[in-house]
Amino acid sequence: MLDVVNLLTYGAVVSAISFFVIILLLPAAIRSLTAKGKLVPDAHKQGKPMIPRPAGPVILAGIAAAEIVLYLLTMNVAVLAVVLSTAIAFSVGYVDDSRMMPGWFKPVALLAAAVPLVSLDLYVGGVHEDSLNLVFGRVFIPLLYIPLIFVIMPITGNTINSIDVLNGVASGFIIIAMIPLLTSIAIFGSHEVFLAALPLLFAAVAFYKYHKFPSRIFPGDSGTLLFGAMYGALAIAGSSEIIGVIALLPAVMNSFLFLASVRRIVEHRQVKARPTILMDDFKLAASKDKTAPATLVRLIVADGPLDEKAVGFQIFKLATFTALLAFASIAIQYAILRL
Amino acid sequence: MGFGDLAIFVVVMWAMILAVAAFLVIFVAPIDVIMFNGQAGRLTVSVVQAAIAMIVVIVLVFGLSRMKRIYMQRKLG
Repeated sequence: MLDVVNLLTYGAVVSAISFFVIILLLPAAIRSLTAKGKLVPDAHKQGKPMIPRPAGPVILAGIAAAEIVLYLLTMNVAVLAVVLSTAIAFSVGYVDDSRMMPGWFKPVALLAAAVPLVSLDLYVGGVHEDSLNLVFGRVFIPLLYIPLIFVIMPITGNTINSIDVLNGVASGFIIIAMIPLLTSIAIFGSHEVFLAALPLLFAAVAFYKYHKFPSRIFPGDSGTLLFGAMYGALAIAGSSEIIGVIALLPAVMNSFLFLASVRRIVEHRQVKARPTILMDDFKLAASKDKTAPATLVRLIVADGPLDEKAVGFQIFKLATFTALLAFASIAIQYAILRL
Repeated sequence: MGFGDLAIFVVVMWAMILAVAAFLVIFVAPIDVIMFNGQAGRLTVSVVQAAIAMIVVIVLVFGLSRMKRIYMQRKLG
């Protein structure tokens, strides 16, 4: 347990490191990626402007710098496990950014991101509880908890990856989902994991400045898998698994709708029928094609065509609403604990 | 209108997740006492707990899938 002064000081230090490393490195990364020709078209805009990608290495640099400082300050093994899991997820994404991998690659390779959480807990201890926080109580499942970690990490990583369809959505969504997760970790988890979560929030805030509509850089798979896997690792280490899922519901819903439609694990680009149609006025409309997969964006534009910025705003509204549901769940758990 | 429908969809998902969580806490967690009178080994209890949890999650996914179909039919015809 840390005292209030250390908590505030360490919190300010790691948040500042994460935020400023990213905000200062991104302009140089944009110039460097553009010079190297690492550009992809921004599909929903007139003339399809070319945007540099990926920002994952810069996001990792900011988060890793902050987490390493936090580890040196606290020597807490959970902090080490979180940053190692994050780095593995980044590596998986970076491979996918560099060469087009088959649909199964990301979910399978992301299993490796669970290894630091499991192995460091087995050999050192103190990474996570062997019980699942189910809002209404904790369920002590020492044998089942390890396979559960191997399920959670690929899901959270791919869930954030799959919602990265419009300018600013992945980073903005992480910012909103992190607020209830941080609150839950502060109440039901540990001080050290709470501090380890701050660099993710501040990394997303710094990155959002360049990722928001109209984007000046894209995160790439390395950035989105890093965001998602770190979110999952923090939910596990911070005893906030179900609260984490609830705060992530719109993204979970998006993945679920897609998988329930196509009934197999494939990349979005491999699906022939598109869920939305880009109209002449650059508004997005829902596809009427029966074979097109269901996605969150398709449901949002089902009532009528919207431009990219408006769709992003609707997703943020939904994310804010689910953040409130996550807060309601925290309140329920807190009330039960007090009884 | 559009946001309201999506919000209802999300609230139903939230309620289903909480219902599953409550079921797991009330019935599955103390299963060694309920089913085995506290006599079973940890591995047996874990296998039974895993089997019940998987069935419950499959039911949840089936429910969500039905909900998705109804919603899509209403929205996109």
